[in-house]
Amino acid sequence: MDKLYEPLVQLLEGTVRTPDQFTADQLSNYGRIFQWTPRFVVHPRSQKDIVATVAFCRSNKLQLANRGSAHSQSQLAISQGGVLLEMTAMNGIGAVDEKALTVDVEPGVVWRDLTHHLKKWNLVPPVLTNNLGVTVGGTLSMAGIGVASFKYGSQGDNVVEMDVVTGDGKVVTCSPEKNDDLFWAAIAGLGAFGIITRARLKLRRMKPMTRTYYLLYDDLRVFLDDARLAMDSGRWDHLESWGAPCAQGTRPAAGKRQVFAKWFYPFHLTVEYDPGSPPDDAALLAGLRPYDNVYTDDCPTIDFLERMVPVFELWRKAGTWEFMHPWIECILPWETAADCIEQVLADTPPGIQVGGHVLLWPAKGKTSRSKNFMVPEGDNLVGFGLLPAIPQKFWSEMSERLENVSRMMLMFGAKRYLSGWVNFTPDEWREHFGARWDELVALKRRYDPDSILNPGFVPWTPAP
Amino acid sequence: MTLTFGTDAWSQALVAEINGSSEYRNAAAKWGDGFNGNVLLVFEADGASPKGHALLVKLVKGACLSASFVPGSSHPEAGFGLRAPFSVWKDVLARKTLAATAILTGKMKVEGDRMTLLKHTAAHRALVSCAAALETDF
Repeated sequence: MDKLYEPLVQLLEGTVRTPDQFTADQLSNYGRIFQWTPRFVVHPRSQKDIVATVAFCRSNKLQLANRGSAHSQSQLAISQGGVLLEMTAMNGIGAVDEKALTVDVEPGVVWRDLTHHLKKWNLVPPVLTNNLGVTVGGTLSMAGIGVASFKYGSQGDNVVEMDVVTGDGKVVTCSPEKNDDLFWAAIAGLGAFGIITRARLKLRRMKPMTRTYYLLYDDLRVFLDDARLAMDSGRWDHLESWGAPCAQGTRPAAGKRQVFAKWFYPFHLTVEYDPGSPPDDAALLAGLRPYDNVYTDDCPTIDFLERMVPVFELWRKAGTWEFMHPWIECILPWETAADCIEQVLADTPPGIQVGGHVLLWPAKGKTSRSKNFMVPEGDNLVGFGLLPAIPQKFWSEMSERLENVSRMMLMFGAKRYLSGWVNFTPDEWREHFGARWDELVALKRRYDPDSILNPGFVPWTPAP
Repeated sequence: MTLTFGTDAWSQALVAEINGSSEYRNAAAKWGDGFNGNVLLVFEADGASPKGHALLVKLVKGACLSASFVPGSSHPEAGFGLRAPFSVWKDVLARKTLAATAILTGKMKVEGDRMTLLKHTAAHRALVSCAAALETDF
């Protein structure tokens, strides 16, 4: 038995597992790119457990990683030889403040559970991610973006207050007004500055029904013009879009024949409404120039929020959920977006639709106040993501191409979204954070002086 | 037939290869349309070859007008330059390294408007693919 096992168990209300008890999931994350074996997996029950675990790690020189649903794909939510905190048992939802429109939650709360909990009040968090199976602590540590981000920013922008256990073991309540440096370090902070143990989230009132117009575009530039029009019109509550390939057979590419596609762009525009007051279709769609208006869907808003659940269930049933997921997501400047997207998609095989997809999301540059969620300059931005599911045997062939996609995005002025597969050099990390880098390094020294939290991803301290 | 790199026979074979390539014709249909699309490929001397070479390839709208080895490492008729040590070029032409990787990682230097080059990545890949298709004695 590991000599540190008993001393650790004695400190905690929660449970401690050793390698002989680990499940395969605990050795990797959704990316399935890294296989790391922690020394212990801890399931904390309370903030006190987390404080005790941090102190234990510091005194025993162990590194500490934390995870919610482990949807990250790089060196996050996994641990090599350290302690892995699984936060899923800390999933309490506090009282809803209907006047202030807030709710307090623990970090292991899954967004889907929260939306169902809030349904009876017709309340909802302003921004929800497409995948509702991820945790509050996880997405706040990443930024958390969704189909309403063009209006409300990131999920991190919709936090009123948090409790954070820092890397030196202190419990700090922080907000944009109080201990704001820690607050903005922890939001989109990749878990590097502290562990979120409570978040007070903003809520908004939702209307019970949604109507979604399924428009289709055959021209990227027309789609982007309409996306900007839709964002600026103030008519829409949610905007969502994709790249959809129509396979065209094979053509030569770099010495061999490859399947290629003509790309189309579905654009789903959604409004919420009250029963008995359906939206005016013609007024809403005025000025838009789609190739086709494919379908119009009315459904309860709660069902709309869960619209991707059947897709993810299909991926699980088909087995692609277990494939590698080196997702490459970025936020592009509006001016270069079309050129970048066209270049990348010209080389993207239609098979990306098997267990994955190509995301496009029109965004506004000024909706997020988050200091760590890096986006290019500009009033209008375009999110773009290749989200493939790759069998292990294709990894060596695909990894170079995907890295080139990432490099190309950067050359077009993009900033990467960091939940996906990011393989930056130290210089690229500095470039990513820009002027924020030196502040973050200083905050890391201040709040995690022993550098125990979530090591292995961002090189906050130079290699010895 | 194996051709010796750096000879007229090699450069003429490249012209024929480019003009016979549907990949190049499609990918480069807009290359050189409204701008100087001539590309100077500079093979810098290193351990893989003690002698450097520069190849000027005149390209416009999916076609190759001519290709010739030229003296020096720059040329007034070139609109763009791709410059790398010989060993990098050998790896690219042997398809051991993707040309895109060499460019994007800085192993191959780009001269000219980088954004224009970025917008035509399939065209450069097809150009390099044509060169790689030649059976070459370096």
